[in-house]
Amino acid sequence: MNDAEVQILTEREPGEVGLVRWEDFHSRTPFTFDCGESIPEFTLRYETYGRLNRTRDNAILICHALSGDHHCAGVHSLNDRKPGWWNNFIGPGKAVDTNRYFVICSNCIGGCQGSTGPSSTDPRSGEPYNLRFPMLTIRDMVRTQHRLVRDHLDLPRLFAVIGGSMGGMQVLQWAIEYPEYVHKIIPLATTGRQNAQSIAFDEVGRFAIMRDSEWKNGDYDPGAGPNVGLAVARMMAHITYLSDQGLEEKFGRSRKAGPGRTFFEPEFNVESYLRHQGASFINRFDANTYLYFTKALNRFDLYAPDGSLEDSMRQIRAGALVVGFTSDWLFPPAQNRDLVHALLRCGKTASYAELGMTLGHDSFLVHAPDLYRLISTFLAS
Amino acid sequence: MSLKRTTVKREADFQIITGWIESHNRVLDLGCGRGILLEHLKNDKDVYGVGVDVNLDKVKSCVKRGVPVYQGDAESILNEFDDAYFDWVILSRTLQELIRPGRVIREALRVGRNLAVSFVNHGFWRNRASVLLTGSRIRNEVFPQSWDESPPINQVTVHDFEAFCDARGIHRAASIYLGGDWRTPCRRFPNIRAGYALYHLTSPNGPVLE
Repeated sequence: MNDAEVQILTEREPGEVGLVRWEDFHSRTPFTFDCGESIPEFTLRYETYGRLNRTRDNAILICHALSGDHHCAGVHSLNDRKPGWWNNFIGPGKAVDTNRYFVICSNCIGGCQGSTGPSSTDPRSGEPYNLRFPMLTIRDMVRTQHRLVRDHLDLPRLFAVIGGSMGGMQVLQWAIEYPEYVHKIIPLATTGRQNAQSIAFDEVGRFAIMRDSEWKNGDYDPGAGPNVGLAVARMMAHITYLSDQGLEEKFGRSRKAGPGRTFFEPEFNVESYLRHQGASFINRFDANTYLYFTKALNRFDLYAPDGSLEDSMRQIRAGALVVGFTSDWLFPPAQNRDLVHALLRCGKTASYAELGMTLGHDSFLVHAPDLYRLISTFLAS
Repeated sequence: MSLKRTTVKREADFQIITGWIESHNRVLDLGCGRGILLEHLKNDKDVYGVGVDVNLDKVKSCVKRGVPVYQGDAESILNEFDDAYFDWVILSRTLQELIRPGRVIREALRVGRNLAVSFVNHGFWRNRASVLLTGSRIRNEVFPQSWDESPPINQVTVHDFEAFCDARGIHRAASIYLGGDWRTPCRRFPNIRAGYALYHLTSPNGPVLE
């Protein structure tokens, strides 16, 4: 979900945050997960862009999606082929304007990009957590990030929290969990709970990982692991992030040059593209994190047993701008609308926009002047 | 005419509808356009207002103004609310573009305790004369597009509208007719003399009949 358009930065231009570096926040206080289990300490890796103002109230937290991370803008080195995953949105004069706002993005707890997760070492045993890592929820992700922004960065409040997909779930959870702390929220391409189809896709991914003999009940060695299963999970999931029209526009039935050596070698460009997605994913993502995150997504549910969202939405104090995308079949527009209906029924300040983009669920990541405009004016209004 | 008709129209709606609405009312503006009326109501009466429009450019303008807005159609959003949730529902020059205006009015009177409706009266003599003399569809600064570029426009008249209300037991708490300048009040023979009509409607006898 973090494949923004490939933007090759050959030089530092105006409008870019440019060279950035990450920081690590080490929380030495034990953290108790929603499931009741605790870990003695944890680390969150994060980046910040822009400057905090004197009153410390211009901070915006960006929440990343399933396969995203803390690196959402700028580059770590001038040789980087790609900037951060939301670089098109974040920077001086961009939708999230780093001349005005202090932007924070943190890798989630349970992650595999520097934050404590299943592949981290449990200080109590000296062994990797693997499946001993506690069951994880979206709320756990939010509560650990709250420690980062409130305790460590010492921010009295967040001006806004923004995120798409799994990040959108966190945005909603932020506004529910810390209603006084969050001034504005922008959940994008998200839902109050996933439908059966989305859970079904995730289950296929998990099954591919867990049936890979290299998975070994999660106790694979660092550097090894269920690479085939993880690649299959990613390939399949990647299809769900796009749309039939988006794939058609990008690939159609175009083929690779020259005849394949065998009948079943990749022939169509869409096949090679998916293989490439799978192969590059196993180099940067941990299979156990994939299991934990997808399960957290599936279990996230803001609805009451009677099927209403109001009990959750009633707690929100932040003004909301929810954006759905017509071609998103993973978190369809109706699920985004549902959030706004419930907010309005509770007398909350909420807006809904639905963008007619063709790239499916990943529409929230790509070049979209309408979305830039909605976000920048909502933040400024 | 010193002011553009659209500006005058805005003023007529502004003054009259703002006069009807009380402080802190809950207001739903269907076909809210760029959110100018709601912005005005928010500043003037501190209302809880929500606009609805299908057009993304208009939705973007509302967001820029800080007016809460829902991108969607009037009929489906009305289904989402309980009876009498809003103090006021507004249909300001929206009626003529609705696919099923009768159904929207009925639902608006369920969801809102009061309904404000305003529209350009196609029964106005100038509009009749225009059609009669030119043999062409009305085209002026209010309806600037030619037929082939325009969305379907329901050419509602004062006469038609009031007959609809009367047949369904909808109470017209106020009926305001304005002349061709959209400013001068006009009391007699509104169907032919009024260029613009505004109504405050209620449904005192419960749900409006189908």
